[in-house]
Amino acid sequence: MNCPRLKEWLEERYDLEGMKRLAKGKLIPEHRYDLWYYTGGITLFLFILQFLTGMLMALYYVPHIDFAHKSIIEIVTKLNMGWFFRSLHHWGSQLAIVFLFIHLFGTLLLKSYRKPREFVWLTGFILLGISIFFGLSGYLLLWDERAFAAVRVATGGAGAFPVIGGFIKAFLRGSMDVTGDTLLRFYAFHVAILPILTLGLIGLHILLVQMHGMSVPLSLQAEKQREVPFFPNAFYKDLAIWLVVTGVLVTFTVFLPPEIGVKADPLAPPPENVKPEWYFLFLMETLKLFPGSILGMNGETIAIMLVAGAILFFFLIPFFDRKSARGEKSPLFTWIGVIYLLYFLTMTAVGFLS
Amino acid sequence: MRRVAIMGKFLSRFSSVWFARLTAAAILLLPVTAVAAPAAEKIARIAVFPTAPYYIFIVYESLAVFWVAILGLLVIIRMKLREIERIQAMGADNEDPDAPLLE
Repeated sequence: MNCPRLKEWLEERYDLEGMKRLAKGKLIPEHRYDLWYYTGGITLFLFILQFLTGMLMALYYVPHIDFAHKSIIEIVTKLNMGWFFRSLHHWGSQLAIVFLFIHLFGTLLLKSYRKPREFVWLTGFILLGISIFFGLSGYLLLWDERAFAAVRVATGGAGAFPVIGGFIKAFLRGSMDVTGDTLLRFYAFHVAILPILTLGLIGLHILLVQMHGMSVPLSLQAEKQREVPFFPNAFYKDLAIWLVVTGVLVTFTVFLPPEIGVKADPLAPPPENVKPEWYFLFLMETLKLFPGSILGMNGETIAIMLVAGAILFFFLIPFFDRKSARGEKSPLFTWIGVIYLLYFLTMTAVGFLS
Repeated sequence: MRRVAIMGKFLSRFSSVWFARLTAAAILLLPVTAVAAPAAEKIARIAVFPTAPYYIFIVYESLAVFWVAILGLLVIIRMKLREIERIQAMGADNEDPDAPLLE
């Protein structure tokens, strides 16, 4: 379609040629680790899909304890393709978090967080935290007995945090226990507060990436770099990868649609062997390692403190890794990254199999 | 007293053998109901996927077509990318600042 008058109209108001030149002028380094660059694009693509499928389901979902479970059953059983969009939303969230973790550990091991990209790391890390909270808040919206029990345990765990734990627990639940207030609060988080924060942070993250350009691993900096334009070379590769991810996502959606359990009953005992979502399993297994009491102190509080400390260290890693900031190799931080990764994988596998 | 007498008259119609048979049947039926319980639970499970064979076939067929379309698009993108890289290698995509304008 060629509309010269429309083009002219737009060109008069906006510098379209300048934008085209900018897209063509943006260069991407090409090397043996450049596949890691595409994990961020995949995550962004999955986020967009989540927004779209979430919007579709929000048209029919009722955030009330008497109707929430029923409305989801109706979405799945009565609406045309409702089962498909719900399953797509479920598997989209799982894959988005998988790719977020891959993107995070790729960035960590390639030291892409080093100076001057500290804020790129920080915004990405906050986005991971928000995504996990997206998962937790979305899990409760189902209002079945497993979701209810898992959220009760998760919010209760937050309450073990010293000094501010009680406040966090009350803030999350909206009352003393997981009730209709919690459901409404999690709904507000899931469809309004978190999406706004996510959009802002994604914008900032992408802006920072554009400002700093793509990071080249330290081991390859000495070599002469070949660069390709983002448009069309990297764009077409992104497109191809997104297509494959869409195919995998739809296959999961069709073959493994998520189950809907029995409606939550706050007075009923929790179902046996309740497990949280897979990205909380490492935390659950870590808490299990600690005894109830250590030197007269609450074991759970100590465990939560240690995990919070480890996560804070992980969050601030660009400021601790001074060597890579100077452009020198820092094997210590590579090992720290490997240990974090192995711990996460091992504990998740243990939690999954137990 | 009258009510008790009526009840006694009613029960006298059934012999003790009849009560023994009823008890035996109840005992025999217990395991049957226990076996049937998971089946009832299964029925209560919510269908999260189309149940009619015709719709199931349509879903799987659509998935197969979807994958064929994805593979076709991947081939087209690969061809397009190779073409772009070939043009870039020749340097034919570089703008010539001295090129005369037709206008």
